Amino acid sequence: MKVTIDNQEIYVKEGITILDAAQEHNIYIPHLCSHLELSPYGGCRLCIIEVEGMKGYPTACTTKVEDKMVIRTHTKTLQQMRREILQLILSEHPSACLICDEQEECSSFQQTIRKVGATTGCRWCPKDGDCELQKVVDYLEIDKITFPVYYRQLPIENHEPFYDRDYNLCIYCARCVRICEEHRKSSVISLRQRGRFSTIGPAFNMSHIDAGCEFCGACVSVCPTGALSEKGRKWGGIPDSYNASICPLCDLNCDIQVLMKKGKVIGTLPPGDPHQSGGELCVKGRFCLTHIINSPDRLKEPEYLFDEGIGIVSWDEAVKQAGKMLKDVNGKRVAVYLSPNLTLEEILAAKLFFKDIINTSNITSSILNSNLISYISLSEESISLKEIEKSDCIISVFLNGNYNYAPLTLSIKQKAEKGTPYFQIGWIKDTTSRYAYQQIIPFPGREKTFFNKIAQSIENADNSSPEIKELVKKIKISSNPIFILGPDIMGLTEADGILKIIKKIITLTGSKIFLTNPYSNLIGLLSLIDTKSNEEINELISQKKIDLLYIIGDNPFQKRPPVNSIICQSPFPAPDYLNADLALPSAMWGEISGSFADIKGNIKKFKAVTNPPGKAIQNNEIFDRINKEIGKKDIKFTYKGISKLIPKKLEMRFPFVKRKPLKAKISPPNTSFPLLLIQEKNPHIFYNISLSNNIRDMREIVTEDAIIMNPTDALKMEIQNGDSIFVKSDIYEKIYPIIVRKIIPQNFLLLITSSRTFDFNPNPCPVHIRRNNV
Amino acid sequence: MEDLNIKIKEIFRNFSNDPGNLIPILQKVQKELGYISLPAIEEISCFLKLTESEIYGVASFYSQFRFNPRGRHSITVCLGTACHVRGGSILMEAFERDLEIKTGECTLDKRFDLDGVACLGCCALAPVVKIDNDIYGNMSVIKLKETLEPYE
Ligand code: SF4
Ligand code: SF4
Ligand code: SF4
Ligand code: FES
Ligand code: FES
Repeated sequence: MKVTIDNQEIYVKEGITILDAAQEHNIYIPHLCSHLELSPYGGCRLCIIEVEGMKGYPTACTTKVEDKMVIRTHTKTLQQMRREILQLILSEHPSACLICDEQEECSSFQQTIRKVGATTGCRWCPKDGDCELQKVVDYLEIDKITFPVYYRQLPIENHEPFYDRDYNLCIYCARCVRICEEHRKSSVISLRQRGRFSTIGPAFNMSHIDAGCEFCGACVSVCPTGALSEKGRKWGGIPDSYNASICPLCDLNCDIQVLMKKGKVIGTLPPGDPHQSGGELCVKGRFCLTHIINSPDRLKEPEYLFDEGIGIVSWDEAVKQAGKMLKDVNGKRVAVYLSPNLTLEEILAAKLFFKDIINTSNITSSILNSNLISYISLSEESISLKEIEKSDCIISVFLNGNYNYAPLTLSIKQKAEKGTPYFQIGWIKDTTSRYAYQQIIPFPGREKTFFNKIAQSIENADNSSPEIKELVKKIKISSNPIFILGPDIMGLTEADGILKIIKKIITLTGSKIFLTNPYSNLIGLLSLIDTKSNEEINELISQKKIDLLYIIGDNPFQKRPPVNSIICQSPFPAPDYLNADLALPSAMWGEISGSFADIKGNIKKFKAVTNPPGKAIQNNEIFDRINKEIGKKDIKFTYKGISKLIPKKLEMRFPFVKRKPLKAKISPPNTSFPLLLIQEKNPHIFYNISLSNNIRDMREIVTEDAIIMNPTDALKMEIQNGDSIFVKSDIYEKIYPIIVRKIIPQNFLLLITSSRTFDFNPNPCPVHIRRNNV
Repeated sequence: MEDLNIKIKEIFRNFSNDPGNLIPILQKVQKELGYISLPAIEEISCFLKLTESEIYGVASFYSQFRFNPRGRHSITVCLGTACHVRGGSILMEAFERDLEIKTGECTLDKRFDLDGVACLGCCALAPVVKIDNDIYGNMSVIKLKETLEPYE
């Protein structure tokens, strides 16, 4: 249809707003609250316009175009009104710098006065130079504020992880509230109270953590002012460049853009306009990556274990030592551990190096245990993320979607909101729980029986619980049910049995499956190398059949195993207890180009954006140098040479596993051990480090080695956050600090650990607790 | 706690879990329990599948809802135009300071709760303070202590 804007005739689509129509034709109408990904709000009133035949001054962001409309956007009256409106906004915003005569000189000379606790003007604001409010003030040429100014004196909220909140700078555009509700479907914050007393935040004085914040950073991205700011990037200034990449922190490998300044990674964002994209990242892709790549703990120089202790050595020396160790040893007596975070190119190089040059087939990864193999074997039935869209019944099984798999949890929430029945089977309350048609907690300590009951109920009508009946009924009437499995299953003692039943349920009902997987390139690892299971290699080690361990970015041991020598090659130092003979610093994501494979065998590529720290070099270059030292075969390990060899189609091959019969006795809670302790291996692992361990803010939301307890239980037992308690099962006991959180239901305890094996057996385990001092 | 659960469950029996019922539910909760507490909001959140924050956002928009228990006596300070001009907000600050609470809150010993109001309808007496059903006109900060004394 045709409309006239400022005497210019333009043709526009039906149903769009006047603001969108104008923007499409590069006609600027000032606006602050409207946002690409959000429904029209009409809060700031800066976008007022005149429309012939319409009374008053409608807002362009909420008014739809109509055929033959005649619109004026820049009359004198409009501009004057906008100035008044903006001055009203500014009267409650620290605006001294905005209207200061010395602005220009100040920006160029006083660059170092910015790191202050409270923002009293633009020069002290993390958004300086990148702020939408500044831009509008510039455009409307505001040079004075006629209204009395007012500082809200709200306390600055900087005690929660990843981002700071200073609502003294807030202009109440409610973009943050709306992006959290409309786009992320989390509704963590809302506009509270009215008028002058309005504030933004969760209910009462709840923390964001307790209110279910995912720390996805969407609100921070879209905030037009400095009210919300990323802690890690607060004083980083405006990036020099934005580079496309993918996130290596789980196998969804989300698209991201990496923000660079002076050759350093200063932040990561979802793709798209940096101020407009709420995105679908989780906290890891949005906030953790920058911390990891810039971690002060990175291994920066080769280290060698001399008789006197560990010392830094040159690469030449390190390569000589590695060559010596590898030349002296019989290939059959070498075992290799590879991280599931290595790229396809690195894995292929490792394969050539260890299979062809060193001559060993003892290749594994610390995660390749029998439970993982049962789990990942189900991937034959697996669908891709996009296909969830087509499902008409979703069942998640032991999915802990907190701080994880954001695109997945988002699509579950979107589907459920539109009416697709969503069942959540498991203990943990996560960001999807609110959307669950039903959350079903399996009978404590009888998880396998529970799944058996479902299978039985599908085969023939029976007397199972009403919950199971309802679930089965809904699955049966659906034409495309999908089971989404979480990696927590792998930690259960009865994992193998439960997975077999799930497989049966899937076959019986013709369901599809989606496997979540916290490892960015597990699929690539299993497709490119014939691996052995962890159990098999461990047996070789304990039988003293291994002399040398070569560990690449992995962390398989909790103490030094009985071998002659250990070489660790990783972006991060090997743990001290390992007493590695040689530690070689390697480059990681961001510093290398490479590719990962997803569950369907599709390959996703990414490029290097920066250089590795210190003397760290790429894994492939390390192989190259050691190979030259041993000089057995002429193979080029460089990225270019290797990347040509990667097959177009990847197919997984699973290591052989011998299954031992279950020894642990599984029992439900009883009067002496009334609580059920669930142990979860921290899925937030990258190479040989845990994100919780390495990033303080991550530790606050995913705390390792602490017991998480329901508030009602805590109240009953008079236990408070931070108390220390004894946890006792029939064979083991240990002291832990307590964290009180709603994510776990009453009568359950949750323990997240980074160790490979669990302290309490079986898992889940009936326990009782008492306070440490009584 | 248990008590609250039972009462709230009883209230829910009269409503479907359509989020449109939020306001009527909040009104009923306030009527039955006197105020809207965080545990009550948590229960409503489970029932209507709204987040606590969404519920609190809506509830706090309306001045009819209170989020703190009532004290044995209720102090209402007029902040209407006439009273404002004659120092209503200064009175309010004085109350807040003396009782060590904020508007909308209740003292620890449950003796007083404190609220503001837009106009009490007796502007000639401004500034006006109401304690329970007694009106005190021409109030001043100096008279504060003695005015409160009779209320135990
Ligand atoms: S970080 Fe994400 S989940 Fe948390 S308040 Fe902001 S938008 Fe909502
Ligand atoms: S915090 Fe930012 S996004 Fe949220 S209302 Fe305030 S200015 Fe808008
Ligand atoms: S969901 Fe996975 S790939 Fe996406 S941002 Fe999070 S960790 Fe990275
Ligand atoms: S942009 Fe239209 S009212 Fe804010
Ligand atoms: S303004 Fe206080 S009684 Fe009317």
